[in-house]
Amino acid sequence: MAVPTVQQAGPGQPTPVPNRLRWLRRLGASIGRPVFAVVLAMVAGIILIMITSPGSPGDRFTEAISAYQALLSGSFGSLQSLSFTLVYVTPLIFAGLSVAIAFRAGLFNIGAEGQLAVGAITASAIGINATTWPGWILIPVLIVAGALAGAIWGGIVGILKAWRGAHEVVTTIMLNWIAFFVADYLINGPLIDKNLANSTRPLPPQATFPEISVFYNNTLGAFLPKIAPATAYLVDVTFFFALIALVVYWFLMSRTTFGYEVRVIGQNPKAARYAGISTKRNIFLVMAIAGAFSGLGGVFHLMGQFPYYLTGSTFRIDTVGFDAIGVALLGHTTAIGVLFASLLFGGLRQGAGLMQLNANVSGDLVYIIQALVLFSIAAEFLPAIRRALPKWMILRTRPSAAAAGGVLTITDLPENGNGGAQNGEAGGGASHLSDSTVEHSPGQMQTTEEE
Amino acid sequence: MFFQVLFRVLTSSDLWQATLQFGALLLLPALGGVISERSGVTNIAMEGMMLTGAYAGVMTALSTHSLLVGVLGAIIAGGLMALIHAVVSINFKANQIVSGIAINIAALGLTNYLLFVQTGGQGVPSLASSLRLPTVTWGPLAKIPFLGPVLFQQNIIFYVALLVLVGIQLLLFRTNIGLRIRAVGEHPQAADTAGVNVRLVRYLCVVSSGLLSGLAGAFLALGIAGIFLPNMTAGIGYIALAAVIFGKYIPLGAAGACLIFGLGEALSVRLQDTNISPNLLSTLPYILTLIALVGLVGRTTPPAADGIPYEPGAE
Repeated sequence: MAVPTVQQAGPGQPTPVPNRLRWLRRLGASIGRPVFAVVLAMVAGIILIMITSPGSPGDRFTEAISAYQALLSGSFGSLQSLSFTLVYVTPLIFAGLSVAIAFRAGLFNIGAEGQLAVGAITASAIGINATTWPGWILIPVLIVAGALAGAIWGGIVGILKAWRGAHEVVTTIMLNWIAFFVADYLINGPLIDKNLANSTRPLPPQATFPEISVFYNNTLGAFLPKIAPATAYLVDVTFFFALIALVVYWFLMSRTTFGYEVRVIGQNPKAARYAGISTKRNIFLVMAIAGAFSGLGGVFHLMGQFPYYLTGSTFRIDTVGFDAIGVALLGHTTAIGVLFASLLFGGLRQGAGLMQLNANVSGDLVYIIQALVLFSIAAEFLPAIRRALPKWMILRTRPSAAAAGGVLTITDLPENGNGGAQNGEAGGGASHLSDSTVEHSPGQMQTTEEE
Repeated sequence: MFFQVLFRVLTSSDLWQATLQFGALLLLPALGGVISERSGVTNIAMEGMMLTGAYAGVMTALSTHSLLVGVLGAIIAGGLMALIHAVVSINFKANQIVSGIAINIAALGLTNYLLFVQTGGQGVPSLASSLRLPTVTWGPLAKIPFLGPVLFQQNIIFYVALLVLVGIQLLLFRTNIGLRIRAVGEHPQAADTAGVNVRLVRYLCVVSSGLLSGLAGAFLALGIAGIFLPNMTAGIGYIALAAVIFGKYIPLGAAGACLIFGLGEALSVRLQDTNISPNLLSTLPYILTLIALVGLVGRTTPPAADGIPYEPGAE
């Protein structure tokens, strides 16, 4: 839910639920649709496994269930597998926040992967050439450099959108591929390790972060029992930076003027202009911050995870930037939502390998599940199913909450397609949408939600 | 030294043959993109549709031992992926960019998943030459120095792509149907009032973009590569998307863009013994498209209703 204020009933409207239960209803409205999407995708996954596996229907079903068991135990089944999952979760949170903050301003950032790539490659370029610097200088320099590089990569998109009207979806896709190829060039050229083909030299040890377990053993472990094989738990301390980033995002969006202005632009660019909010400046800032989040995701992954170097075509194959779109949508662009969605997607990614190993079901199934999640968040399946059902079958208990669940995600999304590219004004496309599709216009929402 | 190499490369017929071949490979999905965007449905999923087509083409060709059935399978598979995009974005009014991303992810997952199911992780073998799309040699014309090998000794799909290019250019700008397609993309309400079935037109256009992308997948797997490899499209669909925009949503413009991008790709392979990095050369299509978007060489603008779901009666 992009703007909490739309949930508050206007002065003249009836309040069917007591105020103290309001939060419960709000929760139900905001998690109903994502949960529906995930369940639908999971069920479709079961069906796919059943279609493609041999044997009787019973055998097929057992096969599907054992695959899901392997998926679950591989991702959250033990402390160790959880630690592996969190390795995936850290960059997903950063990239998810990057996509989410752009969504809040009505912008579609498909460029998280490219921004992540330039962040990582910049930090790598500095780190491996400054091996003599002490860690207390090098670490902040790398972090700032990575964030800055990402911010520039995202900022270009913002500038092109705000001042030239170039659609951000197109520019981010172009910048992604430029970033991938430049990264390829640097990894195989100036930054290459002569002894290892197709990879950069590693970061100097003083520029890296330890695993959480190692960090614990070296600090609290002096007084408390140590973690036995410390290196068995892969997740590193940069996971905490991701949690900090979530808090920063929440604060920025809901407690600052900037966050308020961004939300207004995302909801109704016309109103923002009438209110004297500078849409151009804010669009640039949002995209720069989005880029910085992604850049940080790249830097921290490089600095936190062994072997601390980049290999050729890493980013082209990597799907974090695209998974992040699902994360932001599934998480309703809220901080807490991004956290849970990152856990889900990170878990899927981590569990995939073990599912293939233990249940002999291709790990690529998780891509299909992710795509189905995206489909069912994006498409209005729920209202469509609702319309298709006969009247008596529809639960009538809390129509307003259900309606809210049905309409809300639409406003989280920026306008479809390239509509904004033609008029020089920022966000012009969003006003197109509100002109032509009455049902989804932000202005209309306030009346439809609290019927 | 560098200029000597460049001169030698630029005057070789081999370079221009490769340019036209890669250009034709880009052209098919790009034409699909033009048609879909012209009807008002944003399509960034050519990549996924191509990949699905490549997979289905190889698999049907292998199982039926027929090249023709393989090509048909590729085209149909691409069309089916496009049909999903059409249903989700036209009927369920999904955000078309999310749907496009989902198609691309689904195609990657589905092809790898099915490849694992069907071959047990072994992968498919290289295709026998009887199952590969043939190169057409135009008799004495192919003997003309330089022009012969470049123009008259290409894969059969190259010539199909040229026909499709001319066909779609004429269809869009010289026929009644084309007028309707463009009307639906620019102002669906007006088109609806004039009696055009907006949804039907959009359905047909999106599905055709899938059919063309599927054919390109067949060209890639059955023609150029002769094998299916996981994620073998590797961004070709996105270059095609760039060509759509760089070509200003006009078939002939997209063809010009494909030619430039094809030259860049062909050069990047052949300039490896100079100090120009092939990777840096590969950024050329994207940088050119950004420049076109910014408007330095004439601003490119999409159709007015591109990407906006149609709501009958809304205005």
